[in-house]
Amino acid sequence: MSLAALKPIIRKHSEIGIFLVAVFLVLFFVATSEGRWNNAYNISTILQVTATLGLMTLGVALVIGTGEIDISVGSTFGMAALIYLFLAVRVDPAMAAFAAVAAGAAIGAFNGLLVTRTGTPSLIVTLGSLMIFRGLAIALTSGFAFSVPYKDRGALSYFILGGDNLFRIGTFPGVNTGFLWLIAGLVILSIALKLMPFGNHLLAAGGSAASAHSRGVRVDRVKLRAFIICGVLAGLAGVLEAGKLGSADGSMGRMMELQATASCVLGGCLLAGGRISLVGALMGTFVLSSIQSYLVVRAIPPQWFIVLLGLIVVLAALGDRKLRQWALKR
Amino acid sequence: MTFLRQLAKSAGFGSVVGVGVMLIAFTLIDFSGWWTARTLSNVIHFTSILGLIAIGQALVIISKEIDLSVGSVYGLAGIAFITLEPSLGVPGSMAAALAIAALCGLAQGILVVWGGLPSMIVTLGGLFTFRGVIYVWTGGSVRNFSTDAREHWLTRLFGGEFLGFENALLWMLLMLAVLSVVLKLTRFGNHLLATGGSAESAESRGVRIDRVKIATFVICSLMAGFAGIITLADRPQTHVTIGDLLELEAISAAVIGGCLLSGGRGSLIGAVLGAFIVTSFRYELIALGAPSSWFITFVGIVLIVAVIFNQKLARWAGHNV
Amino acid sequence: MPDAKPLIQVKNLNLYFGNFHALKNVSVDFHAGELVGLVGDNGAGKTTLIRVLCGIHKPTDGEVYFDGKLVKEFHPKLAIDQGIETIQQSVGLCDNLSIARNFYLGREPVRKVLGIPLLDFAKMRGEATKVIRAFGLRDNVSADDEVERLSGGERQSVKIGRAVEFKNRVVIMDEPTNHLSVREREHVNELALQLRNQGLLVIYITHDIFQVHKLADRIVIMENGEKIEDASTDKMSAEALEEVIRQGGRVVEKMES
Repeated sequence: MSLAALKPIIRKHSEIGIFLVAVFLVLFFVATSEGRWNNAYNISTILQVTATLGLMTLGVALVIGTGEIDISVGSTFGMAALIYLFLAVRVDPAMAAFAAVAAGAAIGAFNGLLVTRTGTPSLIVTLGSLMIFRGLAIALTSGFAFSVPYKDRGALSYFILGGDNLFRIGTFPGVNTGFLWLIAGLVILSIALKLMPFGNHLLAAGGSAASAHSRGVRVDRVKLRAFIICGVLAGLAGVLEAGKLGSADGSMGRMMELQATASCVLGGCLLAGGRISLVGALMGTFVLSSIQSYLVVRAIPPQWFIVLLGLIVVLAALGDRKLRQWALKR
Repeated sequence: MTFLRQLAKSAGFGSVVGVGVMLIAFTLIDFSGWWTARTLSNVIHFTSILGLIAIGQALVIISKEIDLSVGSVYGLAGIAFITLEPSLGVPGSMAAALAIAALCGLAQGILVVWGGLPSMIVTLGGLFTFRGVIYVWTGGSVRNFSTDAREHWLTRLFGGEFLGFENALLWMLLMLAVLSVVLKLTRFGNHLLATGGSAESAESRGVRIDRVKIATFVICSLMAGFAGIITLADRPQTHVTIGDLLELEAISAAVIGGCLLSGGRGSLIGAVLGAFIVTSFRYELIALGAPSSWFITFVGIVLIVAVIFNQKLARWAGHNV
Repeated sequence: MPDAKPLIQVKNLNLYFGNFHALKNVSVDFHAGELVGLVGDNGAGKTTLIRVLCGIHKPTDGEVYFDGKLVKEFHPKLAIDQGIETIQQSVGLCDNLSIARNFYLGREPVRKVLGIPLLDFAKMRGEATKVIRAFGLRDNVSADDEVERLSGGERQSVKIGRAVEFKNRVVIMDEPTNHLSVREREHVNELALQLRNQGLLVIYITHDIFQVHKLADRIVIMENGEKIEDASTDKMSAEALEEVIRQGGRVVEKMES
C-alpha cells in the first residue's frame, strides 16, 4: 500500500496524527524505561490522571468545536472540588457532588451568557472567570480545612465518586471509578456529536456561524450549551479528583486549563472551530500524562515536563497542520 | 467640544474614565490607606513594570494576535540577568538577557507567521517552555546579586532613582513616548495598524504583514524582558516563580486600556492606565487588609467589565466591532 | 493606437492549487493605452489570472514579461513598485484607518525630524483631500475620517483615485461596479476611460459583457481556466461574444475544425 492511499483516511480522521504519536511514544517509553514505565502500577496511575484531565478535555473540545475557547476550566475544577469537600462531610456526598457539578454548570452558563449576549471574545471572558474563581478558591481555603478523613469515606457514594481499585486483577491495582465516568462521558458525547442534531449544529456553529445562522441554527444557544456542558464536566472532574484525594487546596486545578487545551490541539481539534475529535483529544490527554509519568519513573526533574509540554503543544500544532496540508494535496 | 468628542471616541477613553472612577472610589472608602507615600510608591513602581509589559502586549493585540508568554519571558530575562552576571558582568548579562527575550519573540513570531499557527497556541507553548527553562536552568533556586553588581552604574541606571522619581517610572514613560510615536507617526506604525485592521487589504497594498507581525512579537518580548531587568535591578531578591500569571495582568491592562481583540485599534497610553488600574486594585486591597488572593478575583471582574464597557464605547463611537 | 510592443506578456501560464488546475496554458498580451475587458463566468479563472499579475499568486510554470523583462519574483509589493495597481472588490482599504492613511498605505511619504523618519501628514492629507473633492465624495467627509464612514461608491472612488495618484502604468479593476448604484457605476466607468486616455493599461474584469463592451478596446474571454476568445470590440459585437461565453468555447473549437 502506498503512502498516498493513507491520504483520504487522514483527511477524514484528524485524530490519526495523535495515535501515531501515542504509539511511537509508548514504544519509546517501553524501550527506554527498563520496565519502570510499562508496569501495571504505573499504567494504572496514568489512566487515573487521564480520567480527570480527560473529562475536562472533553468539555473543552466541545467549546473549541463551536469556535470559542474556555480557559476557565482549571478554576471551575478547583471550585467544584472545594464545594464537594465542604458539603460532603456536612450534608451528604451525593448531594455535595450534585451541588458541585451545578456550580460548574453555573460557571459555564456565566461564561456562555457573557460570550453570546455581549459578543465579547471568549478568551477574555474565560480569562476573567479563570481569575475570579481562582481568587475565590484561594480566599476560601485560607482558614478552612477542606478534607474528608479516610475513615469516613466508606459509603457507596464515595466509591462511585472517585473510589479506587476498580478492576483489580493480579498485579494490576485497578483504576479509579473516574475512568468509568470518562468512558460514559465519551460515549454519551460521541453519540450526541455524531448521531444527534446537536452535534451537527455545534460543528456548523463553529465551522461557519453565519451559514449555520442562516439555516435556522440558534448559534447562541448552541454555544451556551457547549459552555455549560464544559462547566459540568470540569466540575465533575473536580469532584472525582477531590473524592480520590480526600482533600484540596486553593491551587487545585492550576494549569489544568492549559493542559486540557493542549490535549485538544494534540488531538487534532481545530482552534478555529468546526472540526474536533473527542477520541483524539483523549489520546492527547493520555500522551500528556504518559510523558509526565515517564519523567517521574526516569527520575528526570519534573520541571522538564513544563518545557516538554510547551514544545509538544507547538510541535503538535505544527505537525497537525503539515499533515493536513499533505493530506489535502491530492 | 470637538476636542472632547475626539477624546471620547479615542481608544483609551474608557481607561481614563476607569482611572477617574477608581481614584474617587478609593479616596471615598479609604482615604488614609490609599493616599500614603508607601502605597503610592508601590503602586507607581509596579505600574511602571506592568506598564512596560502592557505596552508590548497592546502592540501585539493591535496586530490582531495575542502573546500569552510575556510572564515567562519577563521571568526568564530577569533570571538570566542575575544568573549570568557573575560570568558576563552587568552590561554583558543585561545584553544577553535582552537578546534571550528578543529570541523568544522571534521564535514565536516566526512560528505564528510562517508556521501558520494561531498565536494563542504558539505563545501558550512559549508560556510553558520559557517557564520550564527557568526551572531547569536554575534548578529551583536563584542566587542573589553581589553587592558590587548592585552598585554598578548600569544597575543603578535601571533600578535607582532620579530626582526623586523611580527610574522604572522614567523608563516606562520614555518607552511609552517612543512607541506611541512609532505607532502613530511612522511607516511601521501605519503598517501595524493596517495589518491588525485588515491583513488582506494591507497585503494587497504591498505591506509585508509577516515582517510586521514578527517585529511586533519581538518588540513585545523585548518589553517584557526589559521589565524583568528593571525589576531585578531594583529589588534583586527573587524567586523562580517571578512573573507567574503576569500575562493575565498584562492582557487585562491592555484590554482595560481600550485594545480591541478584533485588532487594529488600541492605545498605548490606555494600556499604561490599565496597568495603573490593575496595580491600584492590588494595593488598595492590601491597604484594606483583604487577603491578597482577592486581587485575582478583582482583576478578573475588572477585565470583564472593562472589555464590555470598551466594546459599547467603540460601538457608540460608530466603529464596527 | 496601442504600442506594438506589449506592456504585459503572459506566455503559456499554468497554475495549480494543489491538484486543481486553475490556469491552463494561458497566453495573452496587454498593451499600454488600451482598455481590455476580461470576461468570464464565476470560476473561469479571470480573478486568478490577475492575481498572478499583481503578485499574489506565483505561477506553477510559464512566463510573465513586464515591459519586456521576465518577472522572476511575485509579491504584491513588487507589483505595486512596478506600477501595477489593483482595485479589488472587497480588499484594499482598512476600515480602522483614516482616508489619508489608507491612501498612502504601503508607500507612506516620510519627513525626517531629527533624523527620525516620521509620516508626512501634511502631504498625505493634502493629496487625499484633493482626490476626495475630485472624485465626488460627500462634502462633510474629510481626509482624517476613517474609511468605515464611506459608502461603497466612495470606497471605490478612493481606490481609483489612489491608482491615478501614483502615476501607475497598469490599473486592474476587479468587478469595480459591484454593489454600486447606477450613478456611481457610470462614474466609475468614466474614470476607467479617463485612465485609458491618459495612456495607462486598464484591465477591467467583469461578468457583464454588455457593460464592458461599451468601454473596452478588446475583450478577452476565459472559461474553465483557459482563454477561449481574444477579439477587439469593433470586430465582434457584444451579442456574438455573449454567445461565445454561453457555448463555453465550443463555438471556437467548431470554427477551428
